Amino acid sequence: MESYQVSIAIKTDTDIVSARQQARELAKNLKFSSSELAGIAAAISELARNIVSYAKDGTIVANLIEEKGKQGLMIIAKDTGPGIPDISLAMQNGYSTSNSLGLGLPGVQRLMDNFEISSEVGKGTVVTIKKWVVS
Amino acid sequence: MEENGKPTTTDPSLMNRMGLDQDEIARRKAWLEFTLEDETRLLSLNEMAQGYATEVIEALYDHFLAFDDTKKFFENASVLNRVKNLQKEYFLRLTKGNYDNKYVEERIKIGVVHASIGLDVKWYLGAYNFYLRAVGERIFKAFKNHPEQALEAYFSLTKLVYLDIGLAIDTYIFQREVTISKQQEAIRELSTPVLQLREELLILPIIGAIDSQRARQLTEQLLHAIRDKRAKVVVVDITGVPTVDSRVANHLVQTVDATRLMGAVLIITGLSAEVAQTLVTIGVDLSKIMTVGDLQGGIEAADKILGIHLEKNSDQATSSN
Amino acid sequence: MKVPILKQGNILIATIQSALTDQDLNNLQNELSHQVSHYRSQGVVIDITELDVMDSFSTRTLRNIANILKLRGANTVIVGMQPDVAYAMVELGLTLPDIKTARDLEEGLILLQS
Repeated sequence: MESYQVSIAIKTDTDIVSARQQARELAKNLKFSSSELAGIAAAISELARNIVSYAKDGTIVANLIEEKGKQGLMIIAKDTGPGIPDISLAMQNGYSTSNSLGLGLPGVQRLMDNFEISSEVGKGTVVTIKKWVVS
Repeated sequence: MEENGKPTTTDPSLMNRMGLDQDEIARRKAWLEFTLEDETRLLSLNEMAQGYATEVIEALYDHFLAFDDTKKFFENASVLNRVKNLQKEYFLRLTKGNYDNKYVEERIKIGVVHASIGLDVKWYLGAYNFYLRAVGERIFKAFKNHPEQALEAYFSLTKLVYLDIGLAIDTYIFQREVTISKQQEAIRELSTPVLQLREELLILPIIGAIDSQRARQLTEQLLHAIRDKRAKVVVVDITGVPTVDSRVANHLVQTVDATRLMGAVLIITGLSAEVAQTLVTIGVDLSKIMTVGDLQGGIEAADKILGIHLEKNSDQATSSN
Repeated sequence: MKVPILKQGNILIATIQSALTDQDLNNLQNELSHQVSHYRSQGVVIDITELDVMDSFSTRTLRNIANILKLRGANTVIVGMQPDVAYAMVELGLTLPDIKTARDLEEGLILLQS
């Protein structure tokens, strides 16, 4: 493995493509199945898009991680945008993909093994997701 | 668990997983008639053992290195060094008394080390014989004026060694069982093949319980087969699935949706009316799932779907019957 | 990157490449809308064989495209979805319920003609 981390600045929609391609490349170093890779790419796409749509700019950092013998991929999507006023509302199922203002977060949570979000109005949002390799 | 020769026995529950608890060890000691007296006798040998430990271990590994069958495991100098040191500790431990759970754990650990490098159990057990002879000689020399004491000491040692051999065998069996269950898992995966019944028609009879991991794996397999075999209809039979609960049902619904996205149709067969009723009652939306009584019925329905399609293109070769 | 659109009789065929940005999708929506009107096309096949990611945005946009084209008298068929993409989509809860799908371009054309 040559690198354990990639960091992508997210500002425009081409950065969304960059982020998911680079993270996917990184994820290929681990034994994820092809459908898990597609899921990872979709999750990153959602997070990156949220940054572009609502925060104007931020970063996505992808890391290969290891914990208790398990290997996995960790993605941290960070922005200094307006923040999410009501996280529980954003995490509700109906409030996502069909709604044009949706953040797609419940879907991301479903695709990933670990999902953490913290947000402060006026300060920004950090979403941390992890996907583990099933051995 | 074991990974590529790296033993992972710092996990104390390994003893439990192997079914070895305090009671079991006590039973084995009783069976061998290993008592406190034996323990004391062995303790008294410790000083002497300290004196010849290195010698005995060197001789043991010279023995290992003298035979083709066993030489190959110890050709790597650092592996050899490591096992020699572990073995010396082990050897001295035989005469340190206090043969408790911790002792058992240490025994299992060394067994795992040897099992994980691929050393066959017969060579490992043969090594015990070497010990008994090497130490026996030295005991009789040291007690040459009191042969009955020497014999008693020797018997105590053999009892303990037999306890250890029992543990070593358990370890090998356990490792073997772990391998078998991994192989069974692999076989289970391979034995749910997606079968191509005719052109554009796949069937997948599922047998056995479905947990989330298996469900995911089956769906992946199915979707890939749809693309690779260019299928238009898939019949999934779940008669052989013992429990169809809401989780399984939701996986099925997901699979139906994914199949449709790929432009194919999924038919589920073997879903009994009672089970369907239960699922609907607990809120699973089965309206999207096309279900037909049994596999035969499903295949007939599939043929109909493919047949309807054929009518539109009379120049296409007939694919049914 | 511009999505190539081919005209085949009264059907338009749009072939999507893998590195599709949001802007590309928006442009596709405009282009298809314009061309369907211009050529009075009756059907559109959107070939996503090369697409290796689908998220909520691309799903919404495809649905928008299908709806807009329907208003202009054309049916839309999505073809060639990759198995892993299909799986990731259903896990995300996206199902494209009102759009027709077909296995590949050939099947898609057959479907449009029926």
